[in-house]
Amino acid sequence: MSDFAIAQDKAMGTVSTGLYIHVPFCARSCDYCAFYQSAPDADAIRRYFEALRQEAGLIAWPAQIETVFWGGGTPGLLSPKDLLKLGALVREFSGGRPREWSVEMTPLSVTEARIEALKEAGVTRISLGVQSFQPRLLDALGRQHTPEQAFKAAERLHAAGFDNVNYDLMFALPGQDDEDWMRDLDQAIALAPAHISTYCLTFEEDTKLWLKLSQGKIRRDVEAEARLYTATWERLAAAGYGQYEISNFARPGRACLHNLNTWRMQDWIGLGPSAASQQAGWRGTNIADLDKWCAEVAAGRRAGEDRQELSPGLLAEDALIFGLRMNEGVDLAPLRARAPGADWAAVDAMAGELREGGLADVTGSWIRLTPRGRLLADSVGERLLGLLSS
Amino acid sequence: MDVSLTRNFCIIAHVDHGKTTLSDRLLEFTNTVSQRVLTEQHLDSMDLEKERGITIKMHPVSMTYPAKDGKVYKLNLMDTPGHVDFSYEVSRSLAACEGALLLIDAAQGVEAQTVANAHLAFGQKLKVIPVINKIDLPSANLELCTKQLEDILTIPGEEAILASGKSGIGIEDILEAVIARVPPPRDWQYPQTRILVFDSFYDSYRGVIIHARVFSGAIKAGDGMLLMGNGIKSEVKEVGIFTPKMEPCPMLEAGDVGYLVSNIKSTEDVKIGDTITLSQKPAKDMLEGYKEVHPMVYCGLYPLETQDYEKLKYAIARLRLNDSAFVYQQESSVALGFGFRCGFLGLLHMEVMQERIRREYDVEIISTYPSVVYKVKVHGGTEFDVDNPVNLPDPSSIEMISEPTIKASIHIPNEFLGDMLSLVMEKRGTCDHTDTLDATRVMLTCTLPLNEILVDFNDRLKSITRGYGSMDYELGEYRPSDLVKMDIMVNGDPVDAFSSIVHRTKAEGQGRQLCEKLADIIPPQMFKIAVQAAIGGKIIARDNVREMRKDVTAKCYGGDISRKRKLLDKQKEGKKKMKLIGKVSIPPDAFIKVLKND
Ligand SMILES: Nc1nc2c(ncn2[C@@H]2O[C@H](COP(=O)(O)OP(=O)(O)OP(=O)(O)O)[C@@H](O)[C@H]2O)c(=O)[nH]1
Ligand SMILES: C[S@@+](CC[C@H](N)C(=O)[O-])C[C@H]1O[C@@H](n2cnc3c(N)ncnc32)[C@H](O)[C@@H]1O
Ligand code: SF4
Ligand SMILES: [Mg+2]
Repeated sequence: MSDFAIAQDKAMGTVSTGLYIHVPFCARSCDYCAFYQSAPDADAIRRYFEALRQEAGLIAWPAQIETVFWGGGTPGLLSPKDLLKLGALVREFSGGRPREWSVEMTPLSVTEARIEALKEAGVTRISLGVQSFQPRLLDALGRQHTPEQAFKAAERLHAAGFDNVNYDLMFALPGQDDEDWMRDLDQAIALAPAHISTYCLTFEEDTKLWLKLSQGKIRRDVEAEARLYTATWERLAAAGYGQYEISNFARPGRACLHNLNTWRMQDWIGLGPSAASQQAGWRGTNIADLDKWCAEVAAGRRAGEDRQELSPGLLAEDALIFGLRMNEGVDLAPLRARAPGADWAAVDAMAGELREGGLADVTGSWIRLTPRGRLLADSVGERLLGLLSS
Repeated sequence: MDVSLTRNFCIIAHVDHGKTTLSDRLLEFTNTVSQRVLTEQHLDSMDLEKERGITIKMHPVSMTYPAKDGKVYKLNLMDTPGHVDFSYEVSRSLAACEGALLLIDAAQGVEAQTVANAHLAFGQKLKVIPVINKIDLPSANLELCTKQLEDILTIPGEEAILASGKSGIGIEDILEAVIARVPPPRDWQYPQTRILVFDSFYDSYRGVIIHARVFSGAIKAGDGMLLMGNGIKSEVKEVGIFTPKMEPCPMLEAGDVGYLVSNIKSTEDVKIGDTITLSQKPAKDMLEGYKEVHPMVYCGLYPLETQDYEKLKYAIARLRLNDSAFVYQQESSVALGFGFRCGFLGLLHMEVMQERIRREYDVEIISTYPSVVYKVKVHGGTEFDVDNPVNLPDPSSIEMISEPTIKASIHIPNEFLGDMLSLVMEKRGTCDHTDTLDATRVMLTCTLPLNEILVDFNDRLKSITRGYGSMDYELGEYRPSDLVKMDIMVNGDPVDAFSSIVHRTKAEGQGRQLCEKLADIIPPQMFKIAVQAAIGGKIIARDNVREMRKDVTAKCYGGDISRKRKLLDKQKEGKKKMKLIGKVSIPPDAFIKVLKND
């Protein structure tokens, strides 16, 4: 069994549950980012904690939470005291010790005091928002830290004994050529983190970069994106980082279990504004607004946006669409068993087409995308959309 | 009854010589449309006309003009289209006028439709007033224009008025010349009321609006009217004039141009060119009508979404109401399902109608490759028409296929004669004779297969002559030809909608060109897709559609599966604007694009 096939073996019957907590605070918005966040103040943080506790009280908690992920926003922006408070909240509901507990941090937020607090809370994994090692590109992204501060943060984490660290890097940035990117990538590899995420820049609606794009001030180059993707995959493989998803690479045994759990369409509980949940046959998202979210949970409601009951067909379809983004691919046999009534003939035909077109390999009941197929994962997903769910 | 203070005239010219712009100045000078509301090319009232800057329909408008002789005149002006596809609109307006302003672009000189339209006007015995227009242009060559007037059109040069619609030069001279030179309305003394129907359109509230020129007598609301051609009677509800908006008036009298609203609800009942008389006191003889126009080009139009069939049917029926040159009937295609075979006067007409269906009726449509009408004779059988390549019988059963030809008059500067003759040859044409127009220009009279000039002939002509050549044409006779059906296969599947009938000797070249263009127009695909051209199953050309390089989004938004699904769904919706044939999405305007030469 592969390193990260942990949830898969439990697939039928027992489902594993993850916990995501969205911390909606950033010191300043980056020019590309569409995640829900705003500048914090003492009162907002106070109300946030109050509502978190209320929301936690609305949930039917499973016996055990397998993985925890604090994302944002910038969870690392909270004071050491607040980090400890959040940690206590997690431990109160998670049952035993989670297998994995990740926290997103920006380089500037990595202080010794915070590291201390996170260790004490039981955090096992840090995801560091490096983005780039080049001042010019950090600037172009509207990031606030310098490359030196990223190095410093990496060093502090290492010194504190955090060995499960991820670096987020971004490519296909305005003003970044192939060489710039390769240099960033090599720099990251040289620091030898356990995990590297490489995100191709997405122009999210209403961000500053999107505006620049629509004004024609910057351009998108799909050819370059394709080229950089392929080059990235090759370089990281050569450096001993195994790709397990479009944007994610890890040393053996270091894949992010929390994300795997999501992509395998298990259950997860999302707390905080804009957090999505999928649990007990339902899926829904919290409203992306601190005040409104506070009001919702105060009234005893949560995950009200896009609320949807999950039919076996829909769940199987999503397991397929999101599973194909992973290198391991998808085992169709258990999905078939989960949703026997769905139109599997259509999926088989589609699988045949993908295989013939060189976009997928099919071995027994498993289907996985080839590198070219992975570059077209959205097109593939679009074709699969509706096949099993309607 | 006094018609001496009325003048009816139209503006005719080659495309873009400035008819509509000059009309603006006339409307402005006579205060018909106030400065405040006057738009550029005001009479081009359809969105499509405004956008493309061309006139598609004729536009009548009535003006009052206090002339220098102290009398106030009623002037009825009709702006006409210059494009050859719409030349029937010119013929219709000429029949309702006594005079015509013939515009000549001072920088371009006399061009093919200048001559064609001038001859139409002469044929109708209209007084032609030459106007050399756009004299504000630095490249204006007045001397040459005057000489061309004399040499080519045999109009005395001193009759020409110098004008600029843009700078407002010569406007009063033109109005005075209209009064002095255009005769007052003719045939007004006929004892009964006779009215020429020169156009009609359909209004959902009021039924058919008839555009009318009253020759003799008068008509008003309440009168009983009779359409002499088909004997249909009705009651007149309202009469009025165009300012250019419709404006009711008490009565239309001899010499007037205006509109009639009656009880008639179907435009099929009102034939353009018919004569209206009063049912109480009917006239005995009709006015001279028009030659019927026949479509020259056909194509299939299909709804992109099958469920839009009824919507398309409605759109087509409605457009037909206002355009008798547009014909249609139901048909079906293997690739595209149920749709309509439609006939048009030319490619521009076809493009304009497709555009109107999309915009005014909000139906996304896909069109097949256009075709002319062939006459096919089968062994031991009869001859029949084929306007759809799919209906071409098995080659072994065909005794003979004939194709329509055109008689073209092509005006070009001498120096391009050699290149032009090669183009005519390449297009399987013959040059019947060449006439010297003046020291610098010749006119070629050529016979060409219609199907050869449809696609890029005019563009090629323009590029060979650096814009100085022009062409006019009319339908000629049918002649036997070695024609074959060329099929197009996308990803190995024949797509009937893309079939065409081509000359055997040109099949390979056209096949290659078509494949290349299609491969380029079809957006990049996930899979390797070939576009092939074949004759009787034998592949004669192929090309590959570009393969999609990358379509993946990095972030999965943590656990926000709904958001990702929405994005994929949006992407899928986007593709729905295309036609899925086999596993290839083809944009609905693929064929219009293929036909464009760019
Ligand atoms: N310089 C100059 N340009 C002019 C003049 N009159 C028209 N134009 C330009 O010529 C082009 C064609 O003008 P239109 O008035 O639309 O010509 P038209 O003859 O009505 O065209 P069709 O109806 O399509 O045959 C436009 O770009 C006008 O701006 C003029 O007097 N001087
Ligand atoms: C939820 S963000 C939070 C990380 C943390 N707040 C930080 O910025 O350091 C996670 C990562 O997503 C990536 N990301 C965010 N917006 C993106 C975009 N528009 N395109 C590509 N990657 C993006 C960045 O690499 C970022 O570090
Ligand atoms: S990238 Fe991170 S720091 Fe920047 S705005 Fe987004 S969540 Fe905040
Ligand atoms: Mg015009």
